[in-house]
Amino acid sequence: MNGAPGSSNSPPAERAGLAGPATNVAFTPEQLAEVRRLQGLYPDKRGALLPVLHMAQDAFGWISLEVEEYVAGFFALSPAHVHEVVTFYTLYFQQPKGRHVVAVCHNLSCYLAGSRDILAHVQRRLGVEVGETTDDGRVTLQSVECLCACEAAPMAQVDDRYELNLTPEKVDRILEGLR
Amino acid sequence: MPKLTIDGKEIEVEAGTNLIEAARRLGIEVPHYCYHPGLSIAGQCRLCMVDIEKAPRPTIACNTTAGDGMVVHTDTERVRDTRRSIMEFHLINHPLDCPVCDQAGECWLQIYYMKHGLYDPRMVDEKVHKPKAVPLGPHVMLDAERCILCSRCVRFCDEITGTGELGIFHRGDHSEIGLFPGRDLENNYSANVVDICPVGALTDRDFRFQVRVWYLDTTKSICTGCARGCNVDVHVNRRRPHHAEGRRVARLKPRFNAEVNAWWLCDIGRYHFDFVDAATRLTAPVRRNPGGPADVTWDEAVAGVADALRRYPPEQVAVLASPQMANEDLIALRRVLETRGIREVAFDVPPTALAKDDDFLLRADRTPNRRGATLIGLGGDAGGLMAAARSGRIKCLWVFHHDLLAAGWPAAEVSRALGRIETVIFTGTNANATSERAHWVLPAAAWVEREGTFTNFEGRVQRFRTALEPLGQALPEWELLGRVLVGLGGTAAGRRAEHWFRELTGAVDAFAGMSYQSLGDLGRLVAGATASGLPTPPGQRASAHA
Repeated sequence: MNGAPGSSNSPPAERAGLAGPATNVAFTPEQLAEVRRLQGLYPDKRGALLPVLHMAQDAFGWISLEVEEYVAGFFALSPAHVHEVVTFYTLYFQQPKGRHVVAVCHNLSCYLAGSRDILAHVQRRLGVEVGETTDDGRVTLQSVECLCACEAAPMAQVDDRYELNLTPEKVDRILEGLR
Repeated sequence: MPKLTIDGKEIEVEAGTNLIEAARRLGIEVPHYCYHPGLSIAGQCRLCMVDIEKAPRPTIACNTTAGDGMVVHTDTERVRDTRRSIMEFHLINHPLDCPVCDQAGECWLQIYYMKHGLYDPRMVDEKVHKPKAVPLGPHVMLDAERCILCSRCVRFCDEITGTGELGIFHRGDHSEIGLFPGRDLENNYSANVVDICPVGALTDRDFRFQVRVWYLDTTKSICTGCARGCNVDVHVNRRRPHHAEGRRVARLKPRFNAEVNAWWLCDIGRYHFDFVDAATRLTAPVRRNPGGPADVTWDEAVAGVADALRRYPPEQVAVLASPQMANEDLIALRRVLETRGIREVAFDVPPTALAKDDDFLLRADRTPNRRGATLIGLGGDAGGLMAAARSGRIKCLWVFHHDLLAAGWPAAEVSRALGRIETVIFTGTNANATSERAHWVLPAAAWVEREGTFTNFEGRVQRFRTALEPLGQALPEWELLGRVLVGLGGTAAGRRAEHWFRELTGAVDAFAGMSYQSLGDLGRLVAGATASGLPTPPGQRASAHA
């Protein structure tokens, strides 16, 4: 459950640089058409819950309770059941995230190859703990389970890219590239 | 119909029967947590493992349908070993707090651990901690650490009430039961999740910490909260009265009746017993003179009431019976009326606000025996009766249970009518504004303090039994009415409720042929009635969550 959302009590909007709170939660007509298309791909339309939640996260920045209720409406589900799914997966953010997400693997292969030092280095560089976002809203740091790239340990996922065979120098270069 | 062998015994069961139910029919218990016959199969707890010949590994019995020729073993070394391991898993994070847990004594973790436990725990790691004593709504308290994640409560809210408040959030050993943030578990069936919770995770906020369950006695009864007549067990605390400050009725629990309520009971009915041990209970017959009220003996009260009924001509006497009264009371009352030729009788006093059906068991009619009162012939025009009282024609009025001053009539008019009546007699369990105006007060035993029958809305006659002694000198109404009948020169049917029921079966055709024995535990329909059966739970209707 590392990096699991839902631990922060501070009202998200008050934190500088973050995506604003999802007050008027509503998909555009194009997004609504996409919801219907996704639902059509599965024998039971509920199969589309995960991709629709990803869409919602892209559209609204993070999955607030309001977003969960909105999405539940498309599936005739109670909001509690959408909350089950959102809390199960670490890839759904229950609080605002930074513009970039750095997820350092802490599982066995990476651990043996020095992921603890890598993580400590990232923390020092960004000035945040695991699960936190930099004050400028630039980066959210996570520590995660195996991402299936043991052959290139230690590694991290930065947004949708894998960064392999990490060293402190390589980490610095990567972080500098995040704007 | 598949024929199979379980532990060497052959049995034939209907197609579709699972192995837990098939074994149950042979008297073989397959231990389980998540399986519940009223809910869908979850296959979550893994405890119901059995060995099936030709199957490579133990299989869960709940999700295995009996097949023809199947040979099942529920007690092999491998099954026992599997159960022990599964119990070990269930207890990894379960706190050892039985001494302070309300579920102790009726906890399936305790029960199965005695049978299938490891007894020598191997866990050295610290347990995962989760929220404790979290109110989930007005009636239910959650201890997430005690939860074994069987999901019965989640499925109940999905499949029975259709309200879907509960879910299992997070993952792995951090998984926990909870509500969507900001919501409450406040549907009218919420406390059923306490009944079906196999462990101490969900407890009843009203019941918890009152008394240990092993001090409770259980009596079969009927809920009086509405006209459905859900079958219940009354749990009373007689052995540790000091633990509950004089509260004798500890709780009501639903009792299975497939035709009426299945396993369920609504919250309105479940908590409709506080009047039994309330401070307002009437405990002695009272005579109220101009000088004030005075306790009298039953003999004096019965003589006084019989005298009043005899003194006034029948057309000056009126009776407001009550659908709270049992069939036995109503036939006894009818005999009293017949003896004196009293015709002015009714029971339908309008309530201040009309209640509504809920969408499952609860009926708008919040009384247990309107159908009985109607069949026994005590229906009449209550409004007309009160008008006659206002006009001064009625000199003597006998009121059962009702508070006429808190009914759907203008209180000032009722007060004026009561003022014109020379003799007001009140019979009921609890004092109210009307009993305060009565010249004679005859205290009645509450339904849990006596036996009798109610006729539910569809015409099902169901027995309730004596769980407690009447408080003080209160008497069952059939008994006090029988005494008045004798005072009027009549003959009482007998000295037991059953005698009055026999009187009823002889007097009213709808009840002909019935006896306490033939009613059994599940009741019988009156002649001409059609069973409506259990309504489809809201969660299983087409419009419910897909």
